Amino acid sequence: MLVGIPLEQSNSTIKPKECATEMSDYLVAVADTRCKRSFARVFNYFAPRLRSYALKQMGNEALAMELVQDTMSNVWQKAHLFNSEKGSPSTWIFTIARNIRFDMLRKLQNRKEDVCSDDLWPVLCEQTADANETSLDEQVTLEQIGFMFESLPAKQKAVVEAIYIDGKSQQEVADELSIPLGTVKSRTRLALQRLKVMLNDND
Amino acid sequence: MIKFHPSARQLSDFVEGTLSPAISLMVSAHCDMCEKCQRRVEIETESLAAEMVSSVSAKMDNTIDTSFQFGDMLSQITALPSGKQSDFGSYCEVEHQEPFKKDNSRRLQANVSTIELDGRSFTLPRTLHRYIDKTGNWSSLVGKLWQAPVDLGNQGVANFIFMGSGGSVPEHTHRGTEYTLVIDGEFSDGLGRYDTGDFIFMDGEKTHTPRAEGKEGCLVFSIVDQPLHFTSGLARLLNPFSHLFFR
Repeated sequence: MLVGIPLEQSNSTIKPKECATEMSDYLVAVADTRCKRSFARVFNYFAPRLRSYALKQMGNEALAMELVQDTMSNVWQKAHLFNSEKGSPSTWIFTIARNIRFDMLRKLQNRKEDVCSDDLWPVLCEQTADANETSLDEQVTLEQIGFMFESLPAKQKAVVEAIYIDGKSQQEVADELSIPLGTVKSRTRLALQRLKVMLNDND
Repeated sequence: MIKFHPSARQLSDFVEGTLSPAISLMVSAHCDMCEKCQRRVEIETESLAAEMVSSVSAKMDNTIDTSFQFGDMLSQITALPSGKQSDFGSYCEVEHQEPFKKDNSRRLQANVSTIELDGRSFTLPRTLHRYIDKTGNWSSLVGKLWQAPVDLGNQGVANFIFMGSGGSVPEHTHRGTEYTLVIDGEFSDGLGRYDTGDFIFMDGEKTHTPRAEGKEGCLVFSIVDQPLHFTSGLARLLNPFSHLFFR
């Protein structure tokens, strides 16, 4: 479904800068609320552009459409990784498309294992968001987290359990334990910091 | 200070994703160490993205057929679950992003960012971290040279080469191209002096004799697409065997 938005016309008159702000807002809406309507706007603007770009690069309609689909799927699923301070939506989407194309070409040649786009351009890797932050072990298992969780001090553990496992709000936890909201917040923060340290030491 | 950078052409091919994967690794690792080139890459990326955005051609993109295809695609995509897992936030995130990268070697190596030689530990640029577990043992070459091969799969072999203080590679030229990235230390080769982070490429037209002069020696990462060709003295005797090392 096109959700009633004609391709092109709605955006063709918008200046690039305004468009970037507009698209950026839509991406944030997708990240925050999974807003399909916002995503449709982003999709309708970028999909045809990605398609012509890919067609020019790869000269094959089926591959071009595959590239569009993979790229836009990533945009939908990983909109939370978009950071408007780091660049415009078109730059972000271009890099995703470029990475997918790079890996697609390697896959076509049965060479996907040697060099992959994540090594070169870690645009969708959360752990590189801050270069100074030690990268967390990529593959910490749930059991390991469980083990670390068990080693938290009892008070912190109770708060984290209520919030992250039982899904309660911080206020609910405060009421339930008869402690101030600020205490809940600080215990949560301390617990998460502690978990993070444990995860970093986990090599 | 870094003085040697990839060419404008190499950078723009890198950003476009059309530079060969092995050379892309070198460029990417150089950018890890070089803020100037990071900035150049950003600018190039923005300009290619702008090009992509303006690359729509009206004649083929407003057909009924493509509209239908895009309509289908849009509903397929929005039926996909979010890639974000809010419980424990980013801690579990990575596992969700990269479900195809779960082999054990990576699991074990994920946090390793250094290689060791002779009790010394060298921190590698981010791009090369994943290749640490693909690096073979150090072997001694002529002079004070040590070499450890890095398996790049179908892309051939790269090498870490360590030149001990005063160590030198005999004068040679190249039939193909040699790319060298200085990881730690400095060396000179009769053509220039290179420092940590420098990105150097040599082709058949240049003859050089790399030599580490500093006290600490010099570690480089090197990719050669053809065996070296030694040009002077006894080192010429190495030519029949040069495909065995310095590859």
